[in-house]
Amino acid sequence: MADSITDPLLLALNATLTIASRAVSAVPGSSIAIKYIKASHQNDPYRTLLEAALVAFMVWYYVGTKHKPGSSDVKLTEKEIQELIDEWEPEPLVQPLTDFQQSELEKLPVIIGSVGGKPKFADGKERLNLASYNFLGLMNQEFVKEKAVEALRTYGVGTCGPRGFYGTIDVHMQLEEQIAKFIGSPAAVLYSQGFSTIASVIPAFAKRGDILVADDGVGFAIQKGLQISRSRVKYFKHNDMEDLERVLESLRVESLKAKQSPARRFIVTEGLFANSGDICPLPKLLEMRNKYKFRLILDESFSIGVLGKRGAGVTDHFGVPATNVDMIVGSIANAFGSAGGFCCGSEEVVELQRLGGQAYCFSASLPAMLTVAAAEAIRALQADTEVLTQLRENIDVLRDVLLRSGAGLPVIFDGAPQAPFVHVRLATPLADREEEERALQEVVDEAARNGVLLTRAKYVWSEELNPPRPSIRITVSAALSKKETEKAATVVKEAIKKVLKARK
Amino acid sequence: MERLSSDHSLQQGDHENHNVTWLNFRGSWITQSIVVIVIRLTLAILPGLSPEVSWTLTNLVYNTATFIMFHWVIGTPFDHNQNECGNLTLWEQMDNGAQFTPTKKFLATVPILLFLVSTHYANYDMAQFTVNIVSLLIVLIAKLPSMHKVRLFGINKPYPD
Repeated sequence: MADSITDPLLLALNATLTIASRAVSAVPGSSIAIKYIKASHQNDPYRTLLEAALVAFMVWYYVGTKHKPGSSDVKLTEKEIQELIDEWEPEPLVQPLTDFQQSELEKLPVIIGSVGGKPKFADGKERLNLASYNFLGLMNQEFVKEKAVEALRTYGVGTCGPRGFYGTIDVHMQLEEQIAKFIGSPAAVLYSQGFSTIASVIPAFAKRGDILVADDGVGFAIQKGLQISRSRVKYFKHNDMEDLERVLESLRVESLKAKQSPARRFIVTEGLFANSGDICPLPKLLEMRNKYKFRLILDESFSIGVLGKRGAGVTDHFGVPATNVDMIVGSIANAFGSAGGFCCGSEEVVELQRLGGQAYCFSASLPAMLTVAAAEAIRALQADTEVLTQLRENIDVLRDVLLRSGAGLPVIFDGAPQAPFVHVRLATPLADREEEERALQEVVDEAARNGVLLTRAKYVWSEELNPPRPSIRITVSAALSKKETEKAATVVKEAIKKVLKARK
Repeated sequence: MERLSSDHSLQQGDHENHNVTWLNFRGSWITQSIVVIVIRLTLAILPGLSPEVSWTLTNLVYNTATFIMFHWVIGTPFDHNQNECGNLTLWEQMDNGAQFTPTKKFLATVPILLFLVSTHYANYDMAQFTVNIVSLLIVLIAKLPSMHKVRLFGINKPYPD
């Protein structure tokens, strides 16, 4: 039993091993491999096992196919591709409108001629305009038009180039100087579109790796600017300075620990919030900025020409020198009734944008007639601030009519008492957004029947950071007299009362 | 264990990153092989070092140096696309983050081969063997595709978010 193996299983195994070892030795170079394994075996089977594992790892790594982590490149067979093609049903290029979109389209007012304080509708009737950002009533003013026509005759229609590429004309530089003087900053830079001004100023300064601390109630243009800067964005609660301090403090603690080089840091907020009508607490903001060593980018698109004794915006409103704010961004498309925007700041801040502001470098410059119109509008405001008094009276009248007697109205008004527009929202939220919009649209329609042009505030809901609740945005204008504003406000009040009562 | 946010992978784009392309040259592969041999020979010449110690030192020097170079230091010496790779190690920047590329295969193979050769020629005791295998495992784990953009123990994490 001891000298011969009789178990058939063992015999078979033995035979297999013999054949295998012969096969291995037949392979050229196998003797070297066997010698290597014997030598490094060193009477330790675990060591050999480990080395075998390492070789296996090496082989696995070698046969691995090149790919990018996260990318799911699925290889399809011809048949699968054909199946997918057969299954495919083309979507319409333009989706059919939903009921809501359809009604929205139908409700758009048709206006004959140009827009001003009292536009003429398609039905031939004039209505009081509480919808346009025509705060100072400078839209379609004869004296502005005259200057614009004059500029048109001198310079032609467009400039046919960006500012740095044959697009600069003397009126641009004059307007920049005029704006800088008006705001009270050393210099200003002019952009061609109001919207893209702030969306360009933010990424001109803040790059990847930088830190932006922004109010979470900022408007759409600022949101886009924050997004395309590729910086790290931290939000603080709307106008909540304690929350801002919390964010700044956490960043300070973090920067103490960080090994990386310090980032450029900015606080971004809006002077007069387009979505709520609130005014930012500028003195407190400046205090925070100085304490934590940030820079302040302030979007004054809606406050320029409206707030302050001279109408020079939030800095004027709080009596703070404009030089205290690092970048003041404003629009001349709102109160000044032209087009475009500007950024005020130190010489360095301005000059950097002439090379690094995307909208400045890559967008055709502001047409001469619009530039001159803006210059004329600012000149008019500087010459006579009576229009501001008129605007404020109208604001007071509107708030008076809607608020004082509005205790019974099932709506809420927000915003600062100085804001030239009011967002009217339903006091009790309805089932969904569209329902609420429809109710508000009924108010708008009812007001239109009674001679007042209103509009709902419109947003791209899916793109908004914190979509505000649906609202009617009532804009006050100095183009209307106190009496007309009072009349319009009464119409609005009655419309709200009537519609919302009927819906109950 | 935490992976860097997808933000980085989204933007790691098509720009050629000249801070890493030199690694793909055959010349740099050859140079590296020569450097390893020179290290080994230098250690062999030094008097008083047993073959085991000099092999262990060769392994250690190679593994430590490549670990620091490829898996520890982040960022780029020369700016690339607004410091796009500021939070990435050299290994993660190589070939725009693609895995199993020829260069990565070469660089993963070198330490393994070095270890296998060293165990063959040296008669390690337990302590030396442990030092060798641990240093090898550390550089191999760092090279695993599943460790791409993964930050262990908060090392090299850009910020605590």
